[in-house]
Order: sequence, then structure tokens, then C-alpha cells
Amino acid sequence: MHILLVEDDLSAAAYLVKGLTENGHVVDHAADGEDGLHMALTQKYDVLVVDRMLPERDGLSIIRMLRADNNTTPVLILSALGEVDDRVEGLRAGGDDYLVKPYAFVELLARLDALARRGNENESSIGLSVADLELDLLKHKVTRAGQVIRLQPRELRLLEFFMHHAGQVVTRTMLLEQVWDFHFDPQTNVIDTQISRLRSKIDKGFDRPLLHTVRGIGYKLDETP
Amino acid sequence: MKPRSLLLHTTAMRLALRYAVFYAVLIALGLGALYWAISRYVDAQLAAGLEQEVHELASLDRQQGRQKLKALLKSESLIIGENRRYYLLDETKSNKQTGNLLAWPHALKVEGKVQNIWIEDDLIPGYMEDQDGYWPMVGVVLDDGARLLVAQAVRQAEDLQEFILATMAIIIVVSVGLALAMGWRLGRSLLDRIELINKTAERVTAGDLSRRVPLSGQDDEFDELAGHLNSMLSQIEVLLTGMRQVTDNVAHDLRRPLARMRNRIEVTLLEPRKTEDYRQALEETMTDAEELMRTFNALLEIAQAEAGSYRGEWKEVDLSALLEELSELYEDQAAEHKRNFKVQIEKELLVTGNRQLLAQVITNLLDNTFKFTDNGGSILLEAIHEDGKIQVSVSDDGAGIPADQRDKVLQRFVRLEAARSTAGNGLGLSLVKAVADLHKASLHLKDNNPGLRVVIEFKG
Repeated sequence: MHILLVEDDLSAAAYLVKGLTENGHVVDHAADGEDGLHMALTQKYDVLVVDRMLPERDGLSIIRMLRADNNTTPVLILSALGEVDDRVEGLRAGGDDYLVKPYAFVELLARLDALARRGNENESSIGLSVADLELDLLKHKVTRAGQVIRLQPRELRLLEFFMHHAGQVVTRTMLLEQVWDFHFDPQTNVIDTQISRLRSKIDKGFDRPLLHTVRGIGYKLDETP
Repeated sequence: MKPRSLLLHTTAMRLALRYAVFYAVLIALGLGALYWAISRYVDAQLAAGLEQEVHELASLDRQQGRQKLKALLKSESLIIGENRRYYLLDETKSNKQTGNLLAWPHALKVEGKVQNIWIEDDLIPGYMEDQDGYWPMVGVVLDDGARLLVAQAVRQAEDLQEFILATMAIIIVVSVGLALAMGWRLGRSLLDRIELINKTAERVTAGDLSRRVPLSGQDDEFDELAGHLNSMLSQIEVLLTGMRQVTDNVAHDLRRPLARMRNRIEVTLLEPRKTEDYRQALEETMTDAEELMRTFNALLEIAQAEAGSYRGEWKEVDLSALLEELSELYEDQAAEHKRNFKVQIEKELLVTGNRQLLAQVITNLLDNTFKFTDNGGSILLEAIHEDGKIQVSVSDDGAGIPADQRDKVLQRFVRLEAARSTAGNGLGLSLVKAVADLHKASLHLKDNNPGLRVVIEFKG
């Protein structure tokens, strides 16, 4: 996908451009806020990665200008600050996701994937399905190969999130944020336990697994690993 | 700055001066009114005396004849009486004048009313010792058209005025002088005590943090101020000592992983290696880097919570719901790791604060219980209302913390011997303490016989 990176730290930007390009993306880089805004307004991008603190024009101001111009390109905000209200402020300004430095590169990759696909997906609000696994959003009913699976409310939300991001790698941090609304990492792997419980309900006893572990990154709900 | 030059600028001196001026004006007004009233009285007395005398003389002239009057005037004029009166009979027809005033004052009318007339020295005979001035006098016309006057030399009246004016001046000078002296004394004693504070402040600024302002023992406002300053200084000293200790700890705890990273990279680069070896070295380095970042983030979070004025979201948090969510996360964890995890949470426990920080505190405590209990161990998460307070406690039956170590583990980077083998950076409980303080909640580490019971008590 076509990504615009607005980042004034040139060595960090170079490493990001290299990493994103190696993962098959086309990346444009702007080193200050004015250039970034100009490029975002004149070209079509799938997703924008915007640093908060920039010379000439700060990141939040870029997002506000874009939104005022009815530009709905998903934006991921990078921040070196890291307080909770910064996150709230960033999302209020029109950002779609928020990542605090230092972050893992795979985390950024996974989030960009999620953002870009959210933009052009035309999802049904009634039901979701992956292979023979189906989720009825109105009745809160889950079936696999016609067999009803009983899930706790939290497991249901977890599965719903996975199905919305079917085929994408989802990190533990993303799950904690989106499903539990916790913006920190517990030291013990509580998320892994939750996943293995969900997995035992939707995969156990069926011919092939749908919920896969992506080593070192997170999880993926997909027909193929 | 020398105290002497400061004296005029002290509040006491300014107040004293202000009151001195105020009282001087007040005294002047009072004495002025008194002076005015006395003058009026004296003037009226004089006028009445003069009018009475001139009428007596006129009736003497009418009844006993002119010669008798003249004789009387001559004899009276020669005696300079105590009352210092002057007389003049001006017989217009014969142009003869009798009496001790040398000429008839032009301004004096003969209407029988007292007038104040300016009398020059040349109207006063040399043997009289009076001086020029406004003299009250009265003139009448006798039956044959002759004029008669009786005048009063002003010396008597002026004496009284001068006496009152002098008294006023003395009172004003003395009262202003007293006020200034009092102001000076008061100012001096204030300055002396302020000097003590200044000297202490100078010493502290120069780096002697153990200095304190001496108290006078009078238990007054200055002692109160000194007490506040001293407790402020103590707080600064504690904070600075704490900061030094933290800096030392940070240096010590971060140097090890940094040194490890550097050594690994150095050794890896010593000679050409296989790709897998490079990969392994890089992966290990990344693990170290992540650990360092976690430590830094934890330090940053503690610092932010300790800053006192938290800038994050601050609102009412449904603690019951939050704890339920967290317990849900940890129930499976407990099942997997064979811990006996019990949860007792009352409904509708509400606290004002930051949801993320509160969640992180409980997470830290629960993570600890998993670390310090063995398979089969028991963990209890409890939240109850008690005496109008909300009490959240996390208990386990693990190794616990010896009573004398419980304060210590709240400090940054402190890890007890039992924790050396587990993962962690020694910052978990420090954050718990900082967040509890931020929420004005009290934190207690108690013996769970066996194990540890951590209680956070929120004011309801």
C-alpha cells in the first residue's frame, strides 16, 4: 500500500522507510509538518503515519486540516510522549490509532495493515464469517460448520475483533487496547491465556485450525496459517 | 543589604509613621477646636468687659459731669493695670483729647460695639509696654458729641493663643517621636527575625540542606512561618536524597544490561561469523533493549504519577467493573498456572481517578502474586466498602515480605533476595505506591500468614 510518513527524525525515518519498503509498501517521506500536509492534500495515500512533534506544523494540526478538508485517509499518530491524555487528544483530533515511541516495528506494521483495510472494507453489520466459522452480530451467535459454539461475552468481543481483522496479524497490545481498553502491557501473558481459551472453543474438534499464532508478533484468524 | 537601610522600608516603620501622622492630625484637629472655642469665649468675655466699662464711663459723664470723667481717665491712664486697658476721650468741639491712647484710630466707629482694630506702635505711649496688633475696642458718642473709647491691649489674649499653640506643637512632636521610636523598635525586632530566615535560606541555597530556621519559642506568626519553611526544607531534603538514590539506582540497574549489550556486540564483531550467529546476537540484543525500554517507561510512569499534578484523564471510575474485567483476565491465567484464584468484589465501588493507572496497579499486584506463589498457591482479589472507605486488597500465600523490609520494597529498583531469580525490574510496587499517593489512597503491606496482603484504601 501507499504510505506517507511524516517524521522529522531522519535516521528513524530512514529505518522506517526501509522496513516498510521491504514489507512491500510504497513509502513517501516528509520531514516537516508543512511538507507533510501538502503531500497528504495533493496525493492519494492508503494510510498516513504522522509524528506528533514536527517542525513548521505539529502532527495534530495536520490531521485537523485533513479532516476539515473531508479527507478520511486513516492516520496513525506516533508520539514520544506517552500519557493517557495524549492518546485521547490525538484520537479526538481525528487520528485513528496511536503508537507511543519506542514501539516494535512489527507492531507498527500490524496496525498499519489494520488501518488501511478498515478504510476500504465494506463489512456487513449483520454477520461475519471466516471459512466455516460464522458470527451473527444481531443474535450474538457463533457457529462453526453449523455447530453452535457458546462463548462468554468477552470471548465474543475477542472473536468479533478477530473476524473484523480476518487475515491480518493482530498484536497482543492491539487486543488489550481494543478489546479491554487497557493501554499498558501486563508482565505476564494474560492475553495468551485468553486466546488459548478462545482457540479451544472455536478450533478444538474441527478439521483445521483458524486461529493461528504468529511467532513474535501476535495472532491471526485466517483459513490458512 | 544592611538592616539599617532597610529600617525605613519595614512594615512596622511604615505603619508607625502612618499612625503617627494620623494621630498628629487628630490631635491638631481636637486642640484646634479647643483653641477656637476658648478664643471665642475669651473674645466674648473681653467684649462684654469693654462694653460694660464704656457704658459705666458714659453714665459717669452724664451724671457727674465731664470733669469727673476726665479726672478718672487721667488717673486710670496712669496706672497700668493688670487688665491693660486704654482709654481716650476725644472732645471734638475743643479738639482736646484725654487718655493714654495717643490718637483716635480712624477705623473705629462710635456705635457702642466691639471692633478689632489694628493699632500701630505710635499710638501707644512709650511707658506702656504693649505692642502693635489687632486690639478689641469699643467707642461711644457722649451727650455733647464727644467720643469715648475703651481698648484692650491684646497681650493677654495672645498669651493664651500662644500657650495653646505651643502645647499643640509639643504634643504633636512628642507623639510623632514616640510613634517613630516604637516603629523603629518593632522594625528592628522584625528585621532581626527575618535576618535569621534570610541567613538560613542563604545557607540552604549554598548547598547546606540540613540548615533549619531557629525558632524563638514565642509560638507567634514568625515561629509558624519558620515551622512551615522548615518542613518545606525537610521535604526538599527528602526529595533530593530520594532523587540521588534513584539516580544511583538507575545508573546501577541500567549499566548492567547496557554493558551486556555492548559486550555481546563487541564479541560478535571480533571475527566473521555465520548468519545464524549474527541473527542470534541481534535477537538477544533486542531482548535487552526491550527490557531497558520497559524499565525506562516504568520510571517515566512513576515520575508522572509522583509529579502530583497528573495531566491525564481524571474522572469517576467504576472500580467494581474494572476489577471484574481484570479478574476475568487473570482467572484463566490462574487456571493455567494452577493457582487457586478467588475474587470477592462488591458492586458499585466508585473512585475518582485514572482508569489506566488503577488497572495497571492491580495488574502489577496480581503479576506479583503469580511470581511469588508456587503451583497450588492461593490468590485473593478483594474489594469492599468499609467504614465509608473503599478497600482493595490483593493477597497471596507465597513467601511474603519480612516486616522490616516492607517499606524498602516500595522504593525504586529494590528487589529482595527471593525475587532475584524472577523477571522484573523492581519498579512494580514503586508504581503502586506512586499511583496510590496520586489517588490520595493509603497503601499497606500486611502479613497474610503466610504470604503478603497488599491493601489500598481509597477515601470514599
